[in-house]
Amino acid sequence: MKPQAKLAAAWIGLLLLLAASVGVVFLRLGPLGTVANLGIAAGKAALIGLVFMELARPNPRHRLAAIAGALWLAILVGMAAWLASA
Amino acid sequence: MTVAAFEPYRAPGPARAAAVLGMWVFVMSEAMLFGGLFLVYVHARLEHGDAFVDASRHLKLWIGAGNTAVLLTSSFAAALANHYAAIARWTLARRWLAVTFALGLCFLAAKGVEYALEYREGLAPVFGAPFGYEGAPAEAAELFFNLYFAMSALHAAHMAAGLVVMAWAVARWRRIVGARRHAVVHGLGLYWHFVDIVWVFLFPLLYLVR
Repeated sequence: MKPQAKLAAAWIGLLLLLAASVGVVFLRLGPLGTVANLGIAAGKAALIGLVFMELARPNPRHRLAAIAGALWLAILVGMAAWLASA
Repeated sequence: MTVAAFEPYRAPGPARAAAVLGMWVFVMSEAMLFGGLFLVYVHARLEHGDAFVDASRHLKLWIGAGNTAVLLTSSFAAALANHYAAIARWTLARRWLAVTFALGLCFLAAKGVEYALEYREGLAPVFGAPFGYEGAPAEAAELFFNLYFAMSALHAAHMAAGLVVMAWAVARWRRIVGARRHAVVHGLGLYWHFVDIVWVFLFPLLYLVR
């Protein structure tokens, strides 16, 4: 697959995910809808990260930076959740 | 005694690698800034679930969805610009960067229209504006709109900063020479994709909790 075609496929995938997330609203799923939409958002972020930001390419420095960011965010959220439940 | 200025990474390859890694570190630090705000939002949403659902229904879903499509498309254009810069097709790289810029402007213009409509409807509890929300717990709804304006305005400010640098890159295109051009396009693209990812999470949390 040509690089431009791969980028275009990712873009179409993102638009389809956007359509799905708007569609979920009309299903009136309540809190489950929010969970579904956050899952769709995570899918979109993964597509952008892997294809547009080139994380799918084997570059350990970029992957390390992305993983470090995700790890610190996880610590932030994890500690907040822990404090909220205490 | 005079000391010669140290200029690291004069070779194009290492210079670009260092610039791109620097941008990765920067956007991850920005992710922490937005992460804190997201956390505040989630806490408030858990406290005031039903009021947030009601308040979210007052946002313009179709403007938000259209703007998301515009931003996703601008990210696609930025990725194409980086692709063409990588293979030194400079005219196409500049053209796609200009498309990214134009779509970014469209996003901000639509956001401005949306803010104006919300202000007119009395849904903007900012800068002392009257808050005319009619519905169940107005205090909780006010908190929702405060968070909505804080988060979306911070995102818009990041977009505006990206657009200023993009305009600078497009305007000074001929003066940015050689591998530095690719570093600029690559770095700008990474920043733009990050801004896109932030919106990808803001959109469902603010517009789709109805």
